[in-house]
Amino acid sequence: MVQQASSRQPPVRVVLADDHPIWRDGVEADLGNGFEVVGMASDADEAIAMIRDTAPDLVVCDLQMPGGGGIAVAKACGEDTRIVILTVSEQERDLLEAVAAGAVGYLTKSTPGDELRDSLVRAARGEPVFSPSLAMLVLGEFRRLSKQSAGTNPLTDREREVLQHVARGYPYKQIGEQLHISPKTVENHVRNILDKLHLNRKQELIRYAVEHGIE
Amino acid sequence: MERSVWNGLAVFRWVAWMWMATVLVLSRRALERPGIAVGLVAAALLVTVWLTVLVRRDHTQLASPVPVGIEVGVGLSLQLADGFVYRAPHVFEAEQPLGVAWPIAGALAAGVALGPIGGVLTGVVLGLGRAASSLLNAPPIPPGETEWFLGLTASWALSLVTTTVMLAMAGGVGGYVVDLLRRTEARATRAERRVAQAAAREEVARQLHDGVLQTLAVVERRTDDPQLARLARDQEQDLRTYLFGVPDASVVGVGALGDALRHAARRCETHFGIRTEVLVPDDLPEVPGEVIEVLTGAVGEAMTNAAKHAEPARITVYVEPQDGEVFCSVRDDGSGFEVATTPEGVGLSRSIRGRVEEAGGSVEVDSAPGRGTEVRLTVPLDR
Repeated sequence: MVQQASSRQPPVRVVLADDHPIWRDGVEADLGNGFEVVGMASDADEAIAMIRDTAPDLVVCDLQMPGGGGIAVAKACGEDTRIVILTVSEQERDLLEAVAAGAVGYLTKSTPGDELRDSLVRAARGEPVFSPSLAMLVLGEFRRLSKQSAGTNPLTDREREVLQHVARGYPYKQIGEQLHISPKTVENHVRNILDKLHLNRKQELIRYAVEHGIE
Repeated sequence: MERSVWNGLAVFRWVAWMWMATVLVLSRRALERPGIAVGLVAAALLVTVWLTVLVRRDHTQLASPVPVGIEVGVGLSLQLADGFVYRAPHVFEAEQPLGVAWPIAGALAAGVALGPIGGVLTGVVLGLGRAASSLLNAPPIPPGETEWFLGLTASWALSLVTTTVMLAMAGGVGGYVVDLLRRTEARATRAERRVAQAAAREEVARQLHDGVLQTLAVVERRTDDPQLARLARDQEQDLRTYLFGVPDASVVGVGALGDALRHAARRCETHFGIRTEVLVPDDLPEVPGEVIEVLTGAVGEAMTNAAKHAEPARITVYVEPQDGEVFCSVRDDGSGFEVATTPEGVGLSRSIRGRVEEAGGSVEVDSAPGRGTEVRLTVPLDR
């Protein structure tokens, strides 16, 4: 794809992974200038191989695909690549699993084109794409954790406040204004929350392995 | 299941009949009316054969009145026969009676066919038949031997009671066990059917999820026609409701409050064409009906206000459980207003503040021009 003179930044290199060709083509058409689709995959294994081959800036990946779907891709590549999960329904538990596995966020398949482009540009820059329903799922997850081991909520009060604002539908900029912090700080809080979720999952897996004698 | 019960009973009948035939041969010298005895045992053989054939042909007929009646009738005749075909006092001499084992099959069959109570009653009738046969077989009381006779009567009466209880128990237990088996089997069949239905539904859901729901999402996203987008969205939600029971797939937001709020949001969507999102976590404690009513009314009113006055693109409803309370936020990304200088409209004060404060809750409104509006509601769970 030829870079347009109007866009000053180099295009975002994207890998699209979805088992529905109609959907991949549709997203590609919608991305337009500013993005360069360097590869398309139709299952998790193919996507993982392609990501290792092409080292893209961003992976847009369907939650449900043959071979483990977005969760498998996030587990394999989430540490080195920014992965945005695409999903039909935004209130699926699996979503939390994918984000905990290392995805930077998710978008629903009904997100309108301009919003999709905007969110993907931000995700490529490393900004977590955190929607209200994901925030709700994460809040619930941490409530569950703090109930399990009483008195130890892994989230700071400020982090919980930020999450609640996201869940209530506020954009980062307005959250910053409400909490008297910069949007950058809000973004950092969100990133920390994701890290904690990620870390927590790892610890849970280790605990599970130890309890069940798996080495 | 019932077939195997009837099969077992048929085997029992054969064993009992052979026992009876053996007794007949061994006691042939004590017989006073051998013709009647042989005739009755032959009748029992006919019944045994007939019922065995019935098990093979159509076991459901075995529970009907004719076979059960005939079997119980022949059984009762055999019980009575002991007092009639033998010379007195055969029954009192601790000899093996002719009709004791085979009639048990009658009690069991009646239990299976009529249930435990019918089984018990049939057993009692057969037991009374035994008593009657004893009376028929009673020896003349020797003069001056009344005491001896009374002693004999006591032990004989005890044995009669034992026989009656045993027959009644056979009928009752037979009926009870079969009833239990029947119920268990029906339950298992129902459960199997439910599992099969659920599996079929899941398969359909998976297929539609991959195909139709994705396509509807594509339509919704790629069209410039807002009406078509809304149609696709409505269809998607309808399909989701059918497939998963709730408009939003899987687990989250299941529950009465979530359903009620989603219903209110849906109304707002169709009425005003504004996208809404309802977020209800799945760890919400049980919310009493009155609280659901208050919250749904207040949230509906807040959404209507936003839709009418703020021209928002999206309204987000968020619910969170808090200590003994439910927190609920309704936020729009519309034009917003200056809270300090704008008088509260009738809608807000009456429908929202009125309801919520009456339920012991509180209302906060947060807005600024160009920054949207948030209505925050907190309602205690019990009062």
